[in-house]
Parts: sequence; structure tokens; C-alpha cells
Amino acid sequence: MSSVNVLLPQQATILDITEETPDIKTLRVVGKEGLPFDFMPGQCAMLSIPPVGEAIFSITSSPTCRECLEFSIKDVGKVSSALHSVVPGQQIGIRGPYGNGFPVDEMKGKDLLFIGGGIGLAPLRSLIGYCFAHREDYGKIDIVYGARSPADLIRKSEVQESWAEEPDTDVHLTVDAEFPGWDKNVGFVPTYVSDLGFKPENKIAITCGPPIMIKFVLQALEKLNFTPDQVITTLEMRMKCGVGKCGRCNLGPVYVCKDGPVFTLEELNALPAEY
Amino acid sequence: MAERNLDSVKKIREAVSQDLLGGRISQVLGWEKGHYWWQSRPLFARSEADLEKLTWDSFCVINLSRYLLEELKDHEKVGVLVKGCDARAFNRLLQDNMVKREQVILYGLPCPGMLDYNRLCEEAGAVPDGIVENNGTVVLKTDGGEKEVQREDIMLDKCRECVYPDPAAYDQMLLSPQGEREAAERFKPVEELEELPADERFAYWEKELSRCLRCYACRQACPFCSCRECFVEQENPRWQGRAYQPSENFMFHLVRAYHGTGRCIDCGECERSCPVDIPLQELNRKLIKDINELYGDYEAGLDAEAEPPLLTYRPDDPAAFSEK
Amino acid sequence: MKKIIAREKLPELWKSLSELGPLFLPVQEGPVVLFQPWQEGAETNLDTTNTAVPPKDLFLPREETYMQYRCKGKELEVIPAEEVKPAVLFGVHPCDLYAVEMLDKVYMEQDPPDELYKKRRENTTIVALSCASPDPFCFCNDFDVNPAEAPGTDVMAQLKNGSVLLEAKTDKGKALLEQAGDLLEDGSGEEFARREVKTADFNLKLDGLPEDLKNRFEDPVWDELFKSCLGCGVCTYVCPTCYCFDVEDFGHEAGGERFRCWDSCMYGHFTEMAGGHNPRPGRKERVRQRFMHKLRYYPETFGQIACVGCGRCLRSCPVNLDIVQAIQALGGETVEQR
Repeated sequence: MSSVNVLLPQQATILDITEETPDIKTLRVVGKEGLPFDFMPGQCAMLSIPPVGEAIFSITSSPTCRECLEFSIKDVGKVSSALHSVVPGQQIGIRGPYGNGFPVDEMKGKDLLFIGGGIGLAPLRSLIGYCFAHREDYGKIDIVYGARSPADLIRKSEVQESWAEEPDTDVHLTVDAEFPGWDKNVGFVPTYVSDLGFKPENKIAITCGPPIMIKFVLQALEKLNFTPDQVITTLEMRMKCGVGKCGRCNLGPVYVCKDGPVFTLEELNALPAEY
Repeated sequence: MAERNLDSVKKIREAVSQDLLGGRISQVLGWEKGHYWWQSRPLFARSEADLEKLTWDSFCVINLSRYLLEELKDHEKVGVLVKGCDARAFNRLLQDNMVKREQVILYGLPCPGMLDYNRLCEEAGAVPDGIVENNGTVVLKTDGGEKEVQREDIMLDKCRECVYPDPAAYDQMLLSPQGEREAAERFKPVEELEELPADERFAYWEKELSRCLRCYACRQACPFCSCRECFVEQENPRWQGRAYQPSENFMFHLVRAYHGTGRCIDCGECERSCPVDIPLQELNRKLIKDINELYGDYEAGLDAEAEPPLLTYRPDDPAAFSEK
Repeated sequence: MKKIIAREKLPELWKSLSELGPLFLPVQEGPVVLFQPWQEGAETNLDTTNTAVPPKDLFLPREETYMQYRCKGKELEVIPAEEVKPAVLFGVHPCDLYAVEMLDKVYMEQDPPDELYKKRRENTTIVALSCASPDPFCFCNDFDVNPAEAPGTDVMAQLKNGSVLLEAKTDKGKALLEQAGDLLEDGSGEEFARREVKTADFNLKLDGLPEDLKNRFEDPVWDELFKSCLGCGVCTYVCPTCYCFDVEDFGHEAGGERFRCWDSCMYGHFTEMAGGHNPRPGRKERVRQRFMHKLRYYPETFGQIACVGCGRCLRSCPVNLDIVQAIQALGGETVEQR
């Protein structure tokens, strides 16, 4: 039946909630029967909690996880704040999936360098999980992940234990300053990326984090001779519809909700920098 | 074509170019012609070439003072052409500490009252090809011939009702003052409304406000609406819903009017800017009238030193807070 | 099928048509003319050129509640809004229907279709009225708009010698004329008068403009053009090709509704993100967005400039900053003082 209003949410139920950091929680969400919809890594969903409203969030679980969808949500606005107050068993609205997702097929056979900062790990985690589930399709995996402090790193045990133990995978953690008990790298993510001296040959870099981090990561990658088509990022914009109609998330003729949120640096360079 | 008052334009250009080219100011806010002879638009002049475009005619209605809010971010000192209402708007911004007096040179232009395009057309029975202004009368030229009408009859309502056409604040007065004028009675529509029973008044406003598109042109054109963040956009709490409901329309317009109590300079830019012609100035006039009756005559923007009645605190205020 | 009716009998026709559903037509509302639902005694105005606000709100309402919600304990119930009822749009001028075609591309042709819009489109029967004499602000001669023909209309109408000549163009239009029954006389012998409608013609050079603008995002034109903009939303709300919307909830914890309503790219909060970051932080960025959308982005996606020359922005912008000024400033111009 085609005559469904795409703006109508379906019911979803909160399975459980993990407190990741002082201002980030991960919600596990199921639809009426299992997953509310199929999706690809990098896609987003519109979550709603009446009477507060709707907001768009990236799906952080991998599509290979069939039990539920996961969302790591930072408390920054009205809807995210309301989502921080939900309890297990509570129903919320969900619609999606939205956006293009990461080019998982084009990335096949390549080494992958993930560079995340803070909550920016959320969309990357979906792709990382997908790549581990299809491990033979991808080459060496490096994950650089940083935050202001150890307390601001999300999915800590998963990152440090599960991911680090995956074959042909290195995890590089960093925080902005010295903290008692922290024995990993200290320094900003872009600097750490430079220090680690990644070689661009047959590699794709995928980055997400605060705008200021992304800006310097891109510079660092350029110095390491990564070409713009080797760098992928995912954008965040204010959105209302998710289907390219409400008019607010465009970069020139391109709508981030529909044509993005995943772009190569090469694609972004050709678009107005209104993000 | 609207016949420009070439002497006046020349005089204005000379005065402002002296300051602009002499480096006292880096920009002049004035008017230039738009697509049509009955339209003018703001001019942001920074060069001699820009000044060539500067105009002064019977269609320079747009209040320029409000642009200072933005322009003073980029300029140390600017010049502004001010009619009576523009000057009161400037005083308003000054009293609200939104501008600094020393950052602005005001060029006073006593205002003969601006003309109303719709009235011109009505009087002429068609869109005139142009007009010629005489002393107190205007000749409307159409294909069918010429028609001479009283200037007063084709002025904008807000100008017919204007009491203070001469700038109340200026550094240089460029033209000769208009002096006292016999204005149309500006509180008359308000008095008529006041006569109505409450439910009819409500019905009147409900109907008028039902046209509101919530484009906020009234607010954006208004010299008293200079808040950095308007209550309309505040998220927490959300005072103003986005729905097009009568209650939301009342909320917006009444709260805005109350925010302007004792601050509205009666320039009528809100009503002129409204794309669906809601008689917004009646709301403001009601509050101006109330202020006059309750606190004694007060004309906002006329004297930047005068204490605005509702922005003044006195420990010995004779009226108790809760008294009716 | 051609029918004809004397103008003085129109109220009878409207009464009959309004039995099909709300009948929207130009009504004098105080000083302005707006599309309003017809009711007995309405002060209709078919002689107006363009209404103050285009009839786009028939398809994209100013406000449209599309669901109710109820919350009970942890449960959330979503109740879709009722089906859209049929409506008739009478007396719309061609330019506004050219604009509706542009909205159709976004809301019906571009995937996924917007079912709310689509249902309203499908359930509305349109009677277009050819233009007799243009408003001084009309400039559709600058575009491929024929003031005598309206694309996608169900019935084409023309005011002619004290009568209205109506011709059904679709089955829906035929059904509408049949509904009127004997009120309409046979008009098969009548011809639509051929009228040349001469609007303002700014001699805009539009060919190649979208292509030319591809590399002009950072053009110094933008540093100047926005300066007079007040940052209100008049231009977007009176524009027949503007279509942005907002989605909001209204209600309380236990129940309420979700609606969408018009929104404007000229507003600061339009793109402001939860953390406070705003990709289009000022008037310059927002003015550029609006004009670039009309002149470059929309054409890139849909192959035509998103303007029909209806002239509403020329008439209604409080500071006379309009699309003609933008096109002229961007070089697609022949400046002429009128």
C-alpha cells in the first residue's frame, strides 16, 4: 500500500538504557515485531516523544544486529533531553530509515580507518559492526577514537575489549588531557591521526565528530596524502521531514536527509559549505 | 515617473557626500528607487557612485533606523537619513541601549508625508504612469489624461495621522521643517472599537487576525522589536506555538503590542509591512492612548531623555501595583 | 465540454458546487483578496489579478494535523488523521497553477511521494480563470507562463461579456460541470477570446542563469543584496513556489496532536540545531539560500527556475527586495527604470 503518510511514526518500545557518559545514553529500541525496519550503516531514524516532538538520530547498531536498533543520544536539545528521561518498556515513535548510508560495497577490499570523536562514534559504530560481521570483505581496520576525557568515551568496554580483539584490527584511543589512570594516548584526535602516520594506499578514512575536530582531521588526512575521494564523513543537520521536502537540510541542491548524510570529501568540496 | 525634488536630492547628496567622502562616516543609509516609480528601497551608500542612486521623493517610506542594529556591527560610524518617524525610531533604539549616539550622524528630513500606491490607483482609476507634485496637490497622469488631487487624500494613513513629521533628533537638518500639521485623528478608530461590547471587539480581532500568516514582518520592521531573541522563538519554555490558531495569533500580536506599550513610536511600519493588511496599528494606538490617559501625555521617541512611563521605577509611585 | 453561465448567476453555481465540498475562491477580506471557502453572501472577487496569498495552502495547508497521539502509562498510541475531503478551487489564475506543477514535482514526483499533499491534490477539482488584465506587479511574460492557459486544470474558465465560459479539460472537470446541471447553459458554440496579456517584462535573461550560478555561491553580490532584508517571511509565504514546512507537537503528556505548518528559510531558527550551531546563521546566508533555491538548486533538480512571475514578492516585500532585484543583481538583467 503506497498511500501511507511518510511522516507517520510507528510505535517502538524502549528495551533498556545504558548510561554511557554524563550526557550520553544509549537506547535499545524494538518495533512491534523485531526491527521496525531494515537499514544500512550510516542511515538515520526520526525518533519522537510527544508532546516534545521529533528529532533525527543516527542508528548506532549494526544492521547485522537483528534484535533491536540502538541510538546513542547526547542530551543537547528538547527531544534528546526528553529521550534521556524514558524508562524501559516506554513506547516512543519511530520512522525511517533515512539517508544514503555508507558505501559499504565500494569500500570492499579496502583498509578502513575510522576516526571518531565523542558522540561522533555513534554512526561509525554501525559501520564498524557491519564490517566485523563481513570481516572477509574488508582489509585492515584502524579505529581512532577520542573524547575530552575518559568519562566521555562511549561504548568503552566494546571499543577496548571486543573491537580490539577482532582480527587485523587496531584500536587507538585518545583523550584531550592527562587523567589519573589513563594510560592511552593524550592529545587531540587530529594530532593523534597525524602521529600515527597512516598511509593512504588502498585505504578509506571515515570520520565523524564535532565540526572543529572534523575540520582538523581533514587537514591531517590531507597532509598524509589522502585524496578527497578516500575520505568519508557523515553530517548532522536540523531536519523535520527526513525525505527531502521540508527544505532545511540542503547543501545547495543536495538534501542531507535524503542524499546524505554520508558524503565523500570530494562530494562535499563540490557543495556549498553550509553545514 | 515620480518627479523627484531635484533641489532637495542635490542638497541631501551634498551634505552626506561631504561626510562620507571626508571619512567621518563609512556608510550612509538612504533610499534609492525600486523597480517602479512608486517604490523606493533602502540604499547602503559607501561610495560616490552609490550616492548617485540616492533619492528623496514621496515614496521613501521605509524606516531606516532599524538597519542600524546590523550595520553598526560592521561600521564604526554611519549616517542615516531620518524623517520624523525614523528619528523617533532612532531615539527608541537609543533608549533601549541598542545604538550609541556617537556612532551615528542623523540627517534630518522633514517629511511631507508619503503617498499610498493603492490610493493613487483608486483616485486615478488605473495605475498612473506618473505623478507631478505641486504645492499641496498631486497631478496623476494616466493614459486617459490627468487628474489633480489633494496630496493629503492620497497619503498613507499613517502619514495622514502623523503628528510629528519633523525629525525630533538630528545632527543636521537638511530641509526646511514642515512645522505643526493638522493630522487626521489617529485615535478615532480606537475610540470606535472601544465603544463596542467585548464580544464584538473579540470577534473583530479574531477575524482580522485570522489572516495572519505569521511572517513576522510587523516585528521585523518594528523599531521597538529589537530583542536579540524574541519570545516567539524561545524554546524553553515555548511561549508561542507555531500553529495557525486564533489563540496563537492573539498570543503573538497581543504580547507584541504589550511589549511596545510606552515604547511604540507610532511609525506604522508594522501595518504597512503586513502582507494581508491587518490593522495592527490600532492595537498599538490603543496602548498609546491608554498610556496617555493613565500616565499623562507621552510620545515615545520624541525625546530620548524623557522617562518612558513603564520603564521608570519610583519608590514613591502613587499607584499600588495591584490596584485596578 | 463547454458551458456558459451569466456572471450574476455565479452565486447559484457556487452554492451548487459547494455541495461537493468546500469551494475556495477569491474573496474580498477587508482590504485584501484571499482564497476562502465560499459561503452564502461571500464578497467574491473574480476580477482580482492575484490574491494576496497564493492558493498553495489548499494542498500544503498553513497548518495540517496529520495524527493524534495518546499516551497512557508507558504506552503510545498513534492515530492517523481523517481522510481528506474533496474540495473545489475556483478562479485560480494560470501562474498559480504553473507553480502548483512545481510543487507537484517535489511532493508527488520526487520519491517518496507526500501522501498528505497527494490526497489533497487528487481530491481537489480546479477551475482556472484566464487573465484579462495584469496587475502592475505581474511579470509572467518573463517566464514561459501563458496567462490564458493553465496546466493541470480540470476546467478552464474565462470572463467574457458578462458571462463565464467554462471548458472541462479532465474527467474531474466534466464531473464538476455536470454537478452544476441546468445552472450551466451549453457553451459549445462559444470560443475563448484570444487575448494578449502584456505584463511587466523586466527582460530578464534567464537562459543559462542556473548554470551560471553554479560557481557563484561566494559571489560578492550576496554581500550586498541581503542588506535591506528585514528577515521576515513575507516573500516565502506569498510565494506560490515556496513549500518549506515545520513539524510540531501540540498537546500534553496524555494526548495531543502532531501537525505540520508552513515554515520559512528566512527565519533563523529554521536551520538552527539543538546545540546552537546554525549552518545559515545570518540574513546573508538565508537570502542567498532563498534565491539560490529558486534560481539554481530547484532548476538543477527539476529543470526549471522556481518562479512564475506572479509578482507577489514585488508587491508585498516591505522593503522591495524581490526576485527581480536578485536576478538583476546576479546579472540576468536589463535594468530599466519604470
